Amino acid sequence: MLRYIFYLWLFIGTSLVHAESPRRLAERIDQALQNEVFAEQAQTEEILLAPRTDDITFVRRVWLDIVGDIPTPEELTAFVLDPAQDKRSQLVDRLLANPHYGQNWARYWRDVVFFRALDERSEIAAGAMEADLTEWLNEGRPWSEIATEFITAHGDVLENGGTAIMMAQDGMTEETTAEVSRIFLGIQIQCAQCHDHPYDRWKREQFHELAAFFPRIAVRPVRDLTRKSFEVIGSDRFGRKQPKNERFPTAEHQMPDLENPEAPGTQMEPTFFLTSAKVPWGTSDAARRSQLAQWLTGNEWFATALVNRMWAELAGEGFYTSVEDIGPDRTPVAPTAVKLLSRKFKESGYNLKWLIKTICQTEAYQRESRPQRGSDGTPFVANVPQRLRSDQLYNALLTAFDVKEYQLPRKRGPQGGKDPRATFAEAFAYDPSINRAEAVASIPQVLALMNSPRVNQFFHNKQFSVVPELIREIDHDEDLTVELFLRCLGRQPSPEELDAVKTYRKEGISRREVFEDLAWSLVNCAEFQHRR
Amino acid sequence: MFPVSNVTKMKAHAMNTPLIQHLTNVATRQGHVIRRRDFLRNITAAGLAASTWSWTDTIAASAEQMRSQGMACILLWMQGGPSQFETFSPKPNHANGGETKAIGTSVPGIQIAENLPFCAKVMDDLAIIRSMSSKEGNHQRATYLLHHGYLPMGGVNFPSLGSNVAHQIGNAANQLPNFVRIGGRLANSGGGGFLGVEYDPLVLRSANRPPDNTKPLTDTGRYHRRLRLLGSMESTFAENEGSQIVSDHRKLVESASDMIMSPGMDAFDLEKEPTSLRASYGQGEFAAGCMMARRLVEQGVTFVEVVSNGWDTHLDGFNRTRELTSQIDQPMAALIGDLKQRGMLEKTLVVWLGEFGRTPKVNPRAGRDHFPRAFNAVLAGGGVRGGQVIGATNDAGTEVTDRPVAITDFFRSIYHALDIDADEENISRVGRPIKLVDGGEVVTELFG
Repeated sequence: MLRYIFYLWLFIGTSLVHAESPRRLAERIDQALQNEVFAEQAQTEEILLAPRTDDITFVRRVWLDIVGDIPTPEELTAFVLDPAQDKRSQLVDRLLANPHYGQNWARYWRDVVFFRALDERSEIAAGAMEADLTEWLNEGRPWSEIATEFITAHGDVLENGGTAIMMAQDGMTEETTAEVSRIFLGIQIQCAQCHDHPYDRWKREQFHELAAFFPRIAVRPVRDLTRKSFEVIGSDRFGRKQPKNERFPTAEHQMPDLENPEAPGTQMEPTFFLTSAKVPWGTSDAARRSQLAQWLTGNEWFATALVNRMWAELAGEGFYTSVEDIGPDRTPVAPTAVKLLSRKFKESGYNLKWLIKTICQTEAYQRESRPQRGSDGTPFVANVPQRLRSDQLYNALLTAFDVKEYQLPRKRGPQGGKDPRATFAEAFAYDPSINRAEAVASIPQVLALMNSPRVNQFFHNKQFSVVPELIREIDHDEDLTVELFLRCLGRQPSPEELDAVKTYRKEGISRREVFEDLAWSLVNCAEFQHRR
Repeated sequence: MFPVSNVTKMKAHAMNTPLIQHLTNVATRQGHVIRRRDFLRNITAAGLAASTWSWTDTIAASAEQMRSQGMACILLWMQGGPSQFETFSPKPNHANGGETKAIGTSVPGIQIAENLPFCAKVMDDLAIIRSMSSKEGNHQRATYLLHHGYLPMGGVNFPSLGSNVAHQIGNAANQLPNFVRIGGRLANSGGGGFLGVEYDPLVLRSANRPPDNTKPLTDTGRYHRRLRLLGSMESTFAENEGSQIVSDHRKLVESASDMIMSPGMDAFDLEKEPTSLRASYGQGEFAAGCMMARRLVEQGVTFVEVVSNGWDTHLDGFNRTRELTSQIDQPMAALIGDLKQRGMLEKTLVVWLGEFGRTPKVNPRAGRDHFPRAFNAVLAGGGVRGGQVIGATNDAGTEVTDRPVAITDFFRSIYHALDIDADEENISRVGRPIKLVDGGEVVTELFG
């Protein structure tokens, strides 16, 4: 009997967990790329696949990608010397189990949402979103559940991070609709807000039918004398009076009459544009939003949008040109591969850690990087260097010089101290949804790294930085040079670079100055600011 | 943490000897150096000549600092929504006009509020629009609208007016940035948007301090040495995947260094102005901002925005507005006079603007609330014919009765003054063409 139960358990267990082995799936993805991208191209030109990256480059890459930080020299060395065959996948597992995994990606999604905020005051909700999403990601909650949290949330924006998208869009019906579609489906349906979509199949009615899932939400200040906050409300009680303006909730969404904007417009029935499924007029706010969440997270574009985004972040380039403009009218570069990976992601129960593990196992991910390809170049023949996001760059600075974040003084301001990380982000943050080639550095950023006292204290201030101690304790110049290279760039210096430091040393400046200058130079070089 | 005692064991199957060697020489725990061993080494006196890559040496005072040809724009932004009744559109003969009296100006027949005696003297150069009209009575959305010519729209990151102007007619050879905002970060005022960060404004918190991080932390000699060392650390990445990135980065480091070493940086130093001229601009942050705006335009900067805060006067409006107008009146008039005296006014459009006006009816707390339906703006220079009033409201100031000017009309007129085609299309990130201004017509009375 017991054995029978055991078999039954085994049967149910295996049939419930559909997640394919990441290693096997990674091979299938690479095979698909070979068949539909490389083999095709090879008929007309020679395809040069970049070789697999060496261990030391791999460690820094995977650290930055998964936990958003750089490895210490000890971690680099331990990995490089580890004789295990499967050490790369072991490392990926270890990093996915690290709580910084959730934090890194929560910060990524926080930027996805708040870079498009209508109003900067909504940023008070960013902290709650980061905290809650960190927890959800570390717990391994399915992406479908996480999306549902964001679509169905209500309540105080300082307490429920799920309210972030609605808060960022000020509770406005049409704007919230556009963002939900952009973030979770990768479809820019808001172009159909005022006219039928010029390049896509979407009609103006379809946008407003989707908006009809959100007419009852609004953002309101919380009445509280002790702190400033807002709440997302979903209202189901409506009088006969017309709402005062578009910021008030309405029972049903009206599509404005373009000829006569003052007229009431056409009342729209909540309809999900990808399947034409409807809920009737009069449905409560909670019911219509949870119904939408269910339909949306079950749709193929929901899986594809996430898979394409994660692939673009990790492999350096998406299957589709843009992470936020996909859909049935866009052609991916490797349709079989993206379809396969999306289907398997859905079968895994929208398991994000599984997806990252799978992508990190592909050859496509593990290849050396090459410059961003031109429009006639072949995709996926190499990984692509990525400019670090603000939080990654800040973590890298802290880790390179052993600076404890909690020790750093907070800037004084009218509303209490400002977190140094947030101050850093004012200069370095960029919108993670834009094509990475457009995320270019700016002069204020260059100046901040070169000349700001806040960054420069990391090179010489004994209170925070390890550099003075390294200079004192490591007698040998070459050892010190290597140490600084490992700490900053995660690699050893080339013979030319060692020579350059030696020559510099001979210019008659003090040893302390030489190595502070080296630390300064390593941080200010482009390599430090990129993941290779 | 890597166990140091295992190092020798692992040395046997080491794949990476130098790493091991480094680790036997240097070991740390939690960031503290715990062990070191001295090795005798032969340091060959490498006869490598010092790097000849010295782009910072190319810094030279460019003779083209003075902007001889191009147009420029100075936006004087009144954050909070200035009252039209207490500035350029007084209604002394109606109850809605409140206690504010009107005064005559240098142009017979044109009266403005008594709060602006200095501006009254330069009325010859000012064109007042009294029929600005919009529907946005919310600070955030209206600030956005009056900085972009568009309302915020999910998914489209519109460039701000200053960024569009810098993009269209900015002087690429200038060592200073083409868009500068004085007065700190201003919510919803935008930046480069989909044009990219190179069109973001350089933001100065105050005109009395140099911009952030533009003073090297070391002496010039060490600064140049460091840059040279930095140059020799870029080649490994450049040889492999980072060729384009490194070449872009070098250009940026170069332009940043050029900028901070440039003689044009003097534009940020108001001490360079003669005392008499400084006195003519008056006291305060806004006065300093206006003077710096002139200095920057003189150095070839295309768009400067000077922000004055605090115009949201729901309470005690008459007194508070009087205080605010006293901060901006003399500087604004001095700026126009100064530009004119230097022969720069024809090429420099000055715009005075806030996000909306204030209610005709004075509220019970002696203040006025938000009112976008009929408000005012002022233009000067840049080919605008001064000494005129465009548009009018009824006696109560509640409705525009003549020549309504929509926000798109206003933006179109600004671009027109700057010789920019407002129908020029930028391509947004999703490939959608977006005009500088969508719709609207030039307010032709402003010109000619």
